[in-house]
Amino acid sequence: MSVLTDLFSEARNTAANLAEVIARGRGLRLGVTGLSRAGKTVFITALAQQFAALAHAAAEGRKNPLPVLRVAAERRLISGRLEPQPDDNVARFAFEDHVAALTGPDRQWPQSTRQISELRLRLEFDRRTGLRPGPTSFVIDIVDYPGEWLLDLPLLEKSYAEWSRETFEASAAAARAPLAAEWRGFSAGLDPGAQENESVARRAAELFTGYLRASRAEAYALSTLPPGRFLMPGDLEGSPALTFAPLPLPEGHRAVRGSLAAMMERRYEAYKSHVVKPFFRDHFARLDRQIVLVDALSALNSGPAALRDLQRALDDVLAAFRVGRGNALSRLVRPKIDRILVAATKADHLHHLSHDRLEAILRQLTARAISRADFSGAKVDVVALAAIRATREAAVRRGRETLDAIVGTPLKGERLDGEIFDGETEAAIFPGLLPADPQKAFRGDGLATPEGEADVRFLRFRPPLPAFGVDGKPLPAPHIRLDRACQFLFGDRLS
Amino acid sequence: MTDAPRSRPRAFRLDELAPGGERDFVLEERPDAYEAETARLTGDPDEQAAEQAQAAGFLRRGSFGWGGLLISSLGGLIAFSFGLWLDQLIESLFTRSMALGFVGLGLAGLALLALVALIGREARAIFRQRRVALLHKALALAHETDDRDLARAKIGELAAIYQGRPATAAARAHLEDLRGEIVDGRDLIEIAERELMPALDAAARREVAGAAKRVSLVAVISPRAAVDLIVVAAQALRLIRRIAEIYGGRPGLLGAWRLARAVGSHLAITGGMALTDGLAQQIIGHGLAAKISARLGEGVVNGALTARIGISAISVCRPMPFFAEKPPSLGDVAPFLFSDSGKGEGAKRER
Repeated sequence: MSVLTDLFSEARNTAANLAEVIARGRGLRLGVTGLSRAGKTVFITALAQQFAALAHAAAEGRKNPLPVLRVAAERRLISGRLEPQPDDNVARFAFEDHVAALTGPDRQWPQSTRQISELRLRLEFDRRTGLRPGPTSFVIDIVDYPGEWLLDLPLLEKSYAEWSRETFEASAAAARAPLAAEWRGFSAGLDPGAQENESVARRAAELFTGYLRASRAEAYALSTLPPGRFLMPGDLEGSPALTFAPLPLPEGHRAVRGSLAAMMERRYEAYKSHVVKPFFRDHFARLDRQIVLVDALSALNSGPAALRDLQRALDDVLAAFRVGRGNALSRLVRPKIDRILVAATKADHLHHLSHDRLEAILRQLTARAISRADFSGAKVDVVALAAIRATREAAVRRGRETLDAIVGTPLKGERLDGEIFDGETEAAIFPGLLPADPQKAFRGDGLATPEGEADVRFLRFRPPLPAFGVDGKPLPAPHIRLDRACQFLFGDRLS
Repeated sequence: MTDAPRSRPRAFRLDELAPGGERDFVLEERPDAYEAETARLTGDPDEQAAEQAQAAGFLRRGSFGWGGLLISSLGGLIAFSFGLWLDQLIESLFTRSMALGFVGLGLAGLALLALVALIGREARAIFRQRRVALLHKALALAHETDDRDLARAKIGELAAIYQGRPATAAARAHLEDLRGEIVDGRDLIEIAERELMPALDAAARREVAGAAKRVSLVAVISPRAAVDLIVVAAQALRLIRRIAEIYGGRPGLLGAWRLARAVGSHLAITGGMALTDGLAQQIIGHGLAAKISARLGEGVVNGALTARIGISAISVCRPMPFFAEKPPSLGDVAPFLFSDSGKGEGAKRER
């Protein structure tokens, strides 16, 4: 049965991909992968904004903002614009709203994404190679979605019993136990074999969701928290598909019909087949290139336990993608991800001299995924980037000591070194030094490290003051290595 | 950046100071580090020019064109008529005498053999020149991405090009040893450059200097302008062929055409840059030399032009970009033309 369904979904995928490739022409699907708060929306917004403005840069006498991108450096890009996306049942990426939020009078980062949305970017460029050089167009399809949902992908491989056991084990760890105490207390008193009971299920789900929410809070910054829809329900708010929770099942337990365990298991399976699978199939099964955005800084703020947790979450999630060397045929019928860029976002929150160390930590965070990709023949690169750069660099000299600092406006409520910022004041921040040995960052049990004891503390900054072009539209903000990311992700296809 | 004194995270407010207030720290703005990084990543324009020129010359792929079609079809017709004529000739030889006929047939066979051998040599020459250009591109890529495997493979190929030259034996043996050891891709390439290239670079420079000298001398003593035009053209062609040979290429007849094309497009691309490279000084200086003697001034300009052609030829024929070594400038290859301004330029390049 499962082989049949697999075959069926594979065939469906192939047909869908073929149809899309024919309708679209030259182009690729770029998978922007990242857990919540990794900066997916900002990345996509900045990317679209850069390409929309790139073609006019020279005409308006601005410097080329993406010099590492070959097609831009060689002045071969004719135009870049947003287009109606192919899927009518998915919302359009609210590009204008995000730009307005970033450049408006109160300069805010976009709200966390609650719904899936799609963006199609069409680039017209002058082709140099191939059989028919000359002007051509190239389409990049990008999907934005709540990062929490990504946590569901590993569930596809797990049964209810496995998931229950793992969740209980994880919640017993020193770091999480206090957060999970209430829910664990409640479920310890439950009998899996008891008669099914909606109100008990509801209460269990509520407490479980409460535990997940608490662990995600900024101070803890934990990551491995499936199922993702519990954190960000989207259109499933209050649906029975979300009223389940793990139960303390004994070893080798078999659910009896009509029991609480049976009901939970049924709902878990329904969640997988009706929520997780379609999400994966529609948006992730057919990617050509992937960028994995990782917000290592909040995990570093929290402590080694959060960092290890992030490592585990990334490892689980990235295992779900199909990676390997592609060719012309596979691109048509069964695309594989042949280039992966692992990017530490918010690189503007620390000094560029620390970027090598940040990249080393990032390599460590995604070591398994990188070796898997290497083995399958895909190309992997690691980079520290900032799609929108909110700070500048400076040195602070006090007495005989000189510190490499970054200067920006910290968000309201951020605190460091006895200062509480109001979101208006500029400040020079020295965020501390990352360890030279990346392993060191993973050692220890620290979680939600208080500000006074931390060796590093990365504040969040407000978006930079916008600049406006001759037509009164906001110009793309400065960035760090966004062009390098673009060159790696799709520069080869724009030759 | 050291770990020794554990520095704690710190914040320094930069808001407006109250009247009479004073900060206990100094903020020093720093130049943007990312621009320097970008400049390093995008590579220098010299290297881009060399790669573009190689693409226009050696790596050029045949493309359809009406002119090409005309020439090929006319060539086919001429070949037919030549064959017809040969056939008639041998037939008439046979009618005169059997012996004469066989001699004619034998001569035709020998001519065919020579033709086949020539074509084979041309093809090999083009192939070899192409290989050098591809090697240049691959080594540039390996250096840029610090790709150890690619660097190793390509350094092997590089050594293979100079297989037949005893002068490079020691350097090649050293590289062979290094290839087995764990060396970063970038370092390996730079070591290879320092080991193999200086001798070749020096030979190429001598070649350029000699050609420049001869050309300027001829311009001074030649009786007619047409003569030195021919001499300049012949010397330039000979020079770029010699340089290609020094760096391991083997230009034949058709190969020379491609070579000239590559050098020509490199000159065209770098023409703008050259104005900053001493040629402008030279043309201005020409006024001074011309005041002494018009012939002398002409000779100096012709020499400088030849030297520029030589530098372009070095850039496109060298199997690797200049990483560790310094690319030659006009002052390096033809110092006698820059007797007074050469020093100033040398000092400028030291920076």
